[in-house]
Parts: sequence; structure tokens; C-alpha cells
Amino acid sequence: MHPLLASRARLGSYLLGWLPIAALLAGMARTQGWTWAEAGALSLPLCLLGAFLFLSAWTLCRALPLGQGTEGLANRGAAWGTAALLMGGLWSGLAWLLARGLALLPALNGLPIKVRTALPVITGLGILLYLASVALSYLLLAQARTLEAERRGAELQLLAQESELKALRAQLNPHFLFNSLNSISALTAVDPARAQEMCVLLSEFLRRSLGLGERRLVTLGEELELARAYLAIEQIRFGSRLQLAWHIAPAAEPALLPTLLLQPLVENAIKHGIATLTEGGVLTVDAAVTEGHVVLSVDNPVDPDAPPPVGLGLGLRQVRQRLLGRFGSRARFESSLRDGHHHALLVFPLETS
Amino acid sequence: MKALIIDDEDLARAVVRQHLAAHPDVTVVAECANGFEALKAAAQYEPDLIFLDIQMPKLDGFEVLELLEAEGRRPAVIFVTAYDQHALRAFEAHAVDYLLKPFPRERFDAALAKTRALLAAKEAPLVAPPAAAELAATARQGRPLERIVVKDGPKITVVHLDRLDWVQAQDDYVLLRTEGRNLLKQQTLASLETQLDAGRFIRIHRSFILNLDRLVRVEQDGKEHREAVLRDGARLPVSRAGYQRLRELWEES
Repeated sequence: MHPLLASRARLGSYLLGWLPIAALLAGMARTQGWTWAEAGALSLPLCLLGAFLFLSAWTLCRALPLGQGTEGLANRGAAWGTAALLMGGLWSGLAWLLARGLALLPALNGLPIKVRTALPVITGLGILLYLASVALSYLLLAQARTLEAERRGAELQLLAQESELKALRAQLNPHFLFNSLNSISALTAVDPARAQEMCVLLSEFLRRSLGLGERRLVTLGEELELARAYLAIEQIRFGSRLQLAWHIAPAAEPALLPTLLLQPLVENAIKHGIATLTEGGVLTVDAAVTEGHVVLSVDNPVDPDAPPPVGLGLGLRQVRQRLLGRFGSRARFESSLRDGHHHALLVFPLETS
Repeated sequence: MKALIIDDEDLARAVVRQHLAAHPDVTVVAECANGFEALKAAAQYEPDLIFLDIQMPKLDGFEVLELLEAEGRRPAVIFVTAYDQHALRAFEAHAVDYLLKPFPRERFDAALAKTRALLAAKEAPLVAPPAAAELAATARQGRPLERIVVKDGPKITVVHLDRLDWVQAQDDYVLLRTEGRNLLKQQTLASLETQLDAGRFIRIHRSFILNLDRLVRVEQDGKEHREAVLRDGARLPVSRAGYQRLRELWEES
């Protein structure tokens, strides 16, 4: 369907756009000695008919899309010209029929003769108007294409985010898994009870991360539970090298956030922080609520001899993207390296289900 | 047989120790939680065999091996790691054994048997063991080097490549210029060049590799005599071929 016919408002403004044309037609008729009644009675209905008649340019334009280059321009030009001649002729034919009809009224019985002399002018005007309609159609087509491209772009972005999330779910850090299994293997001989404990912790971690991966939004409380399970395992691996400090405000726990935002942060804190230090250190997770926002942070010491990383790593970039994807400008993500500490900060609106 | 166990995780060392209990001919002379301890223990005990983790703080397994080499030590090595198995498969060609965590007893015993055979044949080795740097390059699977370890007298310095200004060839050594200091390392410029990121480090001269980030401009005086001017004002010679390489990089970007 023609996009102008699809919405009442658009059709209205299109028809309003024809009023000046009707006025122009009437004005021209007046200069030829027509009465006001004659000029108005003919030009108004004629323009209304023209308005709908020339919409047919849309079908032609859609069938002959404008290419990139000038290739086939001659063929298209010929098609526009032929159609314009036909439509101009048709329009003046309608003018003639209209005049014959209106002539039934006594006040307008001189109309047919006047119209006959004006037929070439009406035909010419019809041709021009049809060509203008062709131009308008191409404009509308281009606009529709842009909108379509934007819509498809947004769709693709959504798809990309989906697949990213899927990738995250699948992204169970193999190094972590194998090292944990190795720890269990060591414990089975020296401390079977601990080995069992670690099996349970690992299962809990796996079950939680698989469960969370199924969802787009989780509560901070659930995300923290996953981090606790993960860090409990790492604590067995790293022993006294890993110390944990939790400062969690209960009010922050029901807050909703995109799935698996905290997990990459604590994994980074281990991999690029604690694991790089022979003496280890304290990993701090803070969650507080201020002014309707949740302030969540992960802090860990890093090897002071290592050069600061250039920009954000892929993991942190994804965290930022997904946080901002959900909350837009109402959220903030910062990652800083200062005084031998890496500090990751997430601020987002406190929204609960 | 004297053995060292080098791993930053207590439990990972414990597994190796447990397995070794069944091999009375192997004595664990020391356990080390990081590379520095390992180097100290190696100097003290001169082990025949080391069990070596790859991912450790400060110095990774390959760097430990490289530094041992620089001291003229070359114990038999069994890598014990959760490292990517694809990266390590290539080690088999080098007659270097590795255990993927967690590993079964049979696998451990097999690795040990192989090592015994290797040590017995050490008097007349068929193939020389590969250099540590070569192993590390194999494990990196084409990724460029990120840091260089240098033994500077008793001190060990880790030079991160963004702190490396330039490298100069000096016979069998390379002189590394970093943060206003010169460090010497036994390696040829050509072998170092192959390990560096070709987009960051350019061979500007037969004897010089330059960190592109330090380059301000190239000045030409005389027909074929060019000099690279660096951020700190230092000047290095640029050969015709070196200039060509720089131009290629500029044209690409």
C-alpha cells in the first residue's frame, strides 16, 4: 500500500499540499476571463482527482528503483516520460468530463468551451505534477529504505547481544575448571572431607552459572551467590593468598541487573590480580544503595611491576556495553588502576521486580 | 634423582608429591611457590628434574626455564599445567613432556619413565633439547612476546615491552634500552626480532630494533644517511632497508 494512504495524518497533509495547486489553477483560469464560480468549481474537484491519480507514480517508482550509477537511467526516463504523458492526458480528459458534468448547472454552462481551450495547459500541468509525484515517490522510497535499514540494524544489534550472552554462558573458564579439578585430585588423598566439600562447591557454582545463563535479568543477590560459590573454590586453590572482604548492604540485593555482570569482574580480580601476586591479597566486593542507585564495586591488588593494561579488556568492555545497554545513561561503569589496586565500579538504578 | 616441584598452588604441588611417593628413586629436594624461589633452589640443589607449572606470578614457567638456561642449567623438565592442550601438543615433537591437570597416575608414571630414559642418554643426546624461548614461542602459538626476562648479575628484571625503547645488537648479546637503563641479554637480534610484534617493533637498522611508539621523526642529512629521533631526544641510525620498512608501515596505516 502507498505510504501516504497508510496514515490519515499523512494523507491529510498530502491533500492540503494540493490546495495551493488548486489555487494556482483557479488563478490561471481567472486570468483567462473565467468567473470565480467556474474556476473554483473546476479546479477543486480536478485537483482532488489528480491527487489520487498521481499517487500511481508510487507503483511505477517501486518497480523502477533508482540504482547507484546512471546505468539504465535512459530506460527509466522513457518510462517516466510515457507515464507522465498518459497521466497528463488522462487528467485533462477528466477535466473535460468534469466540465461536461458541471455544465448541467445553469451558472456553469459556459464551462466546456472554456475548458476545451485550456486543455493543452491542463495536460502540461498534469505532466509536470506527475513528474513531481515521481520525485516525491522516490523520496518516500528512500526514507522507507532508511527506516528499514535502521530497524534491521537494531534487530541485528539485539541478535548480537543475544549471541554474546549465549557466548558468556558457554564461557566457563576452562583454566579455572581444570585447576579446581586438580585441587580436588590432590585433596582426595590428603583430606577427603575437603575434597568432597570442593566437589559440592564446584557443582553449586556450575549449577548456578548454568541457571543464571538462562535469564536476561537477575537480582544482585543471585549474582553475589554465584560469586561467593566461585570465590570459595578459588580460596581453596589459593589458600592464604586469597582473602575476601564482603560489604553488602541488604537493600542492594533485590536490585535487578543484566546476568553475569559481576562474575567477569571477580574472575578478572583473581586472574589479573591475586594470581599474579606471590603474596596474594584482599579481594573486596562492595554493594551499597545511595539515592536510588546501586553502587557495586570490586577491588583487588595487582602486580605493581606489570604495566597498566591499555584500555579496557574485552571482558570489561562487554560488562560496560551490557550495563549501558540495559540502563542507558542512568548507569555508569568505571575501571581504574591506582596505587597498585584495580578498582571496578558499577552504578545503576535500583529497580526491583 | 633430585627433583624440584614448582607451582604457585599448594594443592597442585601436593598432587605431584603424592605421585612421587611411589618412586623412591626420586627425591624432592625443594618445593617452590614462584619462579624466584625456583631459581634459588635450582642453584642450591642442582636438580636433575623439575616439575614446572606454566602460569605463575612474576615469572612464568618458560621464563624460569630461560633463566635456568642462562645460568647454564638444563634439568629435565615436565610441565604440569592446566594450560591449553593444543598449545602444548607441539611439545611432543621436542621430546619435552607435559602433564595436563588433573592427570592420572599412569600418565605421571609414563612421563617419569620417559625422563629417566632421557637422563640416561644425556651423555650422548640424540637431539639437543630446545631452547626455552623456542618452547615459549611454540606455546604462544604465533602470539607475540609480551615481556622479556633478563638476568642482570644477581638481579632478575622483567621488561614489559611497552617499557622497551629499543634494542641494539652486540655480538651474541642484545642491549635492551628501558626506562633509562641498559640491560644485556644473551640472545641474537634476529631471534628476538622473530618473537616481537612486527607492528610495534621495527628493525630500522642491521643493529637496531625500535619501539615504534618512541619514534618522533626520521631526519635525513646527506644522501643516504638517516636518523630516527626518539621522544627522549635519542638518535638511532636508520638504514635504507629500515627506512623502507617504516614507509611500508606508514602507508598501510
